[in-house]
Amino acid sequence: MEGVVAWLVITLIKILVILGIVLGIGAYLTLVERKVAAHIQRRPGPMVVGWHGLLQPLADGLKLLTKEDLFPRYGNRFLYNLALVMALVPATLVFAVVPFGPEFEVFGIKVKPILTDVNIGLLLVFALGSMAVFAIALAGWASNSKYALIGSMRKAGIVVSYEVVITFAVMGPIILAGTLSTYDIVQKQIEQKLWYLWLQPIAFVVYMFAMLAETGRVPFDIQEAEAELVTGFTVEYGGMKFGLFPLVEWYIEVLSLSAIAVVLFLGGWSPINIPFLGFVDPLFFLGPLSPFVWFILKVSLLFLFVLWLHWTLPRYRIDQVTETAWKVMLPLTLVNLVLTAVVAPLIWR
Amino acid sequence: MVKKVFERPLSWIERVLFLDFIKGLSVTIRHAFRKTITTHYPYEKLTPPKRFRGFFGHKVVNGKEPQPAFDEWVERFKIKVEAGSSRCVVCMLCKRACPVPQLFEIEGEKLPDGRRKVSVFNMNMMLCTFCGFCVDACPVDCLFQSDIHETASYSRKDAVLDLETLERIGRDWQRRREEEPDRIWIDDHQRQRLWYENQVNLKEVKG
Repeated sequence: MEGVVAWLVITLIKILVILGIVLGIGAYLTLVERKVAAHIQRRPGPMVVGWHGLLQPLADGLKLLTKEDLFPRYGNRFLYNLALVMALVPATLVFAVVPFGPEFEVFGIKVKPILTDVNIGLLLVFALGSMAVFAIALAGWASNSKYALIGSMRKAGIVVSYEVVITFAVMGPIILAGTLSTYDIVQKQIEQKLWYLWLQPIAFVVYMFAMLAETGRVPFDIQEAEAELVTGFTVEYGGMKFGLFPLVEWYIEVLSLSAIAVVLFLGGWSPINIPFLGFVDPLFFLGPLSPFVWFILKVSLLFLFVLWLHWTLPRYRIDQVTETAWKVMLPLTLVNLVLTAVVAPLIWR
Repeated sequence: MVKKVFERPLSWIERVLFLDFIKGLSVTIRHAFRKTITTHYPYEKLTPPKRFRGFFGHKVVNGKEPQPAFDEWVERFKIKVEAGSSRCVVCMLCKRACPVPQLFEIEGEKLPDGRRKVSVFNMNMMLCTFCGFCVDACPVDCLFQSDIHETASYSRKDAVLDLETLERIGRDWQRRREEEPDRIWIDDHQRQRLWYENQVNLKEVKG
């Protein structure tokens, strides 16, 4: 009985922590993005609200919350609101299978800093990732607007192409680790003393591209395309409902996919890796906190890299985007998959 | 004949290693760590160049009038010259030159001793295009354009410059910038000076 209670309490705490971190950080990443974009363009960015604009996300949230809730004539109200839920819930659920650090002990209870260590964690991630297309298709359809519909169709096309690519790209690390559980994949990388990035550079690059495409980040932000489509499927949304889509797409999804990339290719919470030799930890003085810091550091670096790409590159056309997916990336990942499948058993078995 | 220009296609090695991406990324990262080049507007303001065409003003009599033009006009119209007040000789040339003449409202008055001076000089800035023709037309270097450019107001009435305001802008200008060399390219220390130096308090904006 006591075990069940403890388990319940721990799970509740985990849920609260993860939700707080994800939504709170998601809001603050808007500030990070604005600052990075501004400095790339040699502007200081928001400076007025709080020290260097630190309270800007709160001001933005307040403004969005107090705005009038508009609804397009002849739209479908049920689907219109359902799209919001469909966008937010799967994107947040992905964090259920992200391991933040190694197992540790508090008051004699062993705690794994991962909400549910299911043995098919990665499958769950990509299943939930494909759910995003429903939200966008519904949003475009329910808005009764041509721009929104075109935007959502484009996004649907992109997500369908890139889901295939991203699934094949992560196949390599899965073969190397021999498991689908995110926690075990990191454990395997630590046991084998090898970040899978060193053996799977092609998969990593393809994964990064597919991640940009799925989250609508710049070289592939064709469903937004401010110049042609205003802002794509969010055209008819107002107030916080409008704020939610970019929050989910640009921040929460990028964050979750960066975390998965770190788990798959960069060894999760492990410190800097020298292939096949071991790990070097310049942050050893943090003691038991060091793995968590490493994980957060890697995720934030990856996120900053995505921002950097976003504010550097121009936009591809829709045909170029899908062409790249089917004609270049998919064959590349297939070759990578075959090579991995042949080579991996030779090394470890 | 149309000359067709093609971009050099990317080489094989450039495609594989994303060299074009890396070039772009290196440009943006270099800019990201440099100093920003913006002016934090409501908190810091740049002084416009001396020849900026902003709000109008009347230069006042201070002994630096263009001679002999000023004395000739004064004699011709029997103008009362008073140090510290407007140089205007009520010749109406500014109104003549203006593409929207109705924006000027100019009247002179005859004093008891037979001499004349300007009594009303209203400029309706709602109609003005800031073309500067009136300034070119002014024979006594009285009407001029200053660097005052924050001219928003809550009512149309506040956008009318009367004689008193024009003189105030003129006095302030002569105090601040009359000695300054008349540059066209002002990207030196003059540009770093801030807007606050002017002491023109334009009409109170009543909310």
